[in-house]
Amino acid sequence: MVASIKTRELLTVAAGGVSLRGTHHKVQPELLARPEEMNRTGVLFLNSGFSPRAAGGDASVYWADAFAKCGYPSFRFDLPGLGDSDGELPGKVLEFAHLVNTGHYASFVSRAAKYLTDRFNLSGVVLVGHCAGAVSAIYGAAAASKQVKGLVLLDAYFFREEEVAGANIRREIILWAMRNKLAAQLTGLYGRLSKVGARVKKNELPKNANLPLIRCWNHLAAAGVPMLVLNSRAPTSREGEFDYLSYLQAQSRAGRIAVKFIERANHSFADDLGRAAVQQHTEQWLNACFPLVERDQLAFSAPLTVNHPR
Amino acid sequence: MITSESKQLSEQAGYFEVSGAHLYTVLHRVPDAWASVLLVGAFASERHSSYVPWVRWARYLAARGIECLRYDYRGIGESTGAFGEMSFDTWIEDVEVLAGWLKSRSPGAPLLLHGLELGALLAGKVFEAGMADALLGWSAPTNANEVLRAALVRRIAMDNTFRYGDQRRRLPDYISQLEKEPLEVDGYHWSARLWRDSFLLAQPDMDSGRTRPVKMLKLDKSAEPLVKGSTYVSINPDLNELFADNFEWIATSLAMQPGRH
Repeated sequence: MVASIKTRELLTVAAGGVSLRGTHHKVQPELLARPEEMNRTGVLFLNSGFSPRAAGGDASVYWADAFAKCGYPSFRFDLPGLGDSDGELPGKVLEFAHLVNTGHYASFVSRAAKYLTDRFNLSGVVLVGHCAGAVSAIYGAAAASKQVKGLVLLDAYFFREEEVAGANIRREIILWAMRNKLAAQLTGLYGRLSKVGARVKKNELPKNANLPLIRCWNHLAAAGVPMLVLNSRAPTSREGEFDYLSYLQAQSRAGRIAVKFIERANHSFADDLGRAAVQQHTEQWLNACFPLVERDQLAFSAPLTVNHPR
Repeated sequence: MITSESKQLSEQAGYFEVSGAHLYTVLHRVPDAWASVLLVGAFASERHSSYVPWVRWARYLAARGIECLRYDYRGIGESTGAFGEMSFDTWIEDVEVLAGWLKSRSPGAPLLLHGLELGALLAGKVFEAGMADALLGWSAPTNANEVLRAALVRRIAMDNTFRYGDQRRRLPDYISQLEKEPLEVDGYHWSARLWRDSFLLAQPDMDSGRTRPVKMLKLDKSAEPLVKGSTYVSINPDLNELFADNFEWIATSLAMQPGRH
């Protein structure tokens, strides 16, 4: 057994009394003319929810391979209690959600970012987070502003599910509905009821909005941290739910925030369409915000068509 | 909180070279281990939901003096290789190679093959060929197609969520497509060959002329997400009772083996 092969290397980082295990996707030396002169930006993937660091359908492995081929050293780490890392993990999803939503993992993200920038002589890292991972990425970026240079957020959410009355029962009902033959009809009915609820409540910030997280977002946006926000659902399908993204964008007009909706992708982004779209949008965004010296020689997946502020 | 047992234990992650790829392996090292266990985990779609309790189980065994090796199938998770090019034969070869390697670390200690769902079939094939001293299977399907079909049905349910009437596609439509071209399910590209071969990989007949201990256990809903693939409510349930019962069976079964220390 070896800890390193041509394309990957296994890493362990001591953080807060636990060992975090991760994988480094190496940039191949032949892709870089003068690697020693390049103060590169790395890409650090956080766990997608409570999945191990490969994520559902191994999507994070796919993206990390792709970004490394473009010249961005990429890393995937398991947060405490997840995947191969040490540490404790709650038994229930909502208990885990509470930890995520209160920023429990920020210090671990911050330590991993510092370790990577020091060990690999990086200018900093871009954090990539999906779902709960996106929440930890925002908190982590706020805690490690020196090392974290940007954020890629996939289906980020800004509310605290665990604060909804009867959250456990709601989850049981949703699970039952998902396994039911009438899933489509039940989903449609829920959507219609949500629309009615939204009309009654107008457009107020919901009571279970995650205010500390929103403050972190505002802080990062005001500091000019570039953010790429990718969503699997178009705004039209969000009717009935509070539109946090529009709210946050309105609050941070001066921020360097790019928002994209990937039509027909599912929440995991693990299918062909979702994977390819995330890869393409992120590569374009990385190249615009964190250009590489020798980028003409690198393997970007598609012509660059999106303009982002530099 | 379910407490991890890993703090005082040594876990060594590494890549194990096999033909054309590298298997990601984690060895739960135990000094003077009295037995070894090769853990053959769940299939692609179920890997990420079962991962946390599967790691806990490895740590539970290691804390009780059993050296464990767990790994990702070739082309899945942290292992390299293109999933679409893999077959059940490839994955059986992975089990054979790793079982041989684990046995060579402690030749005097008995070796148990332990598989979860599809992993129980792969482990069973290698056990049937004469390797290892005992076999433990959790929720082994009748054949591999049962596992593939369950994942495919989940995908169809997702696809049909906002479809009505003629827009809805049914299982035969997908199977017909799969027989002609690869089909993406949960991010993995299934080949027509994988689907066809899945009917052939079945539970071996363990009753005829059996001289080595075998236990096949069907896990129920209380073991979610170790089986059934749902992490919607529970992610890290307290499985200590299941672990204790199975550890006891392992200890009793392997104690009777000639290789027992």
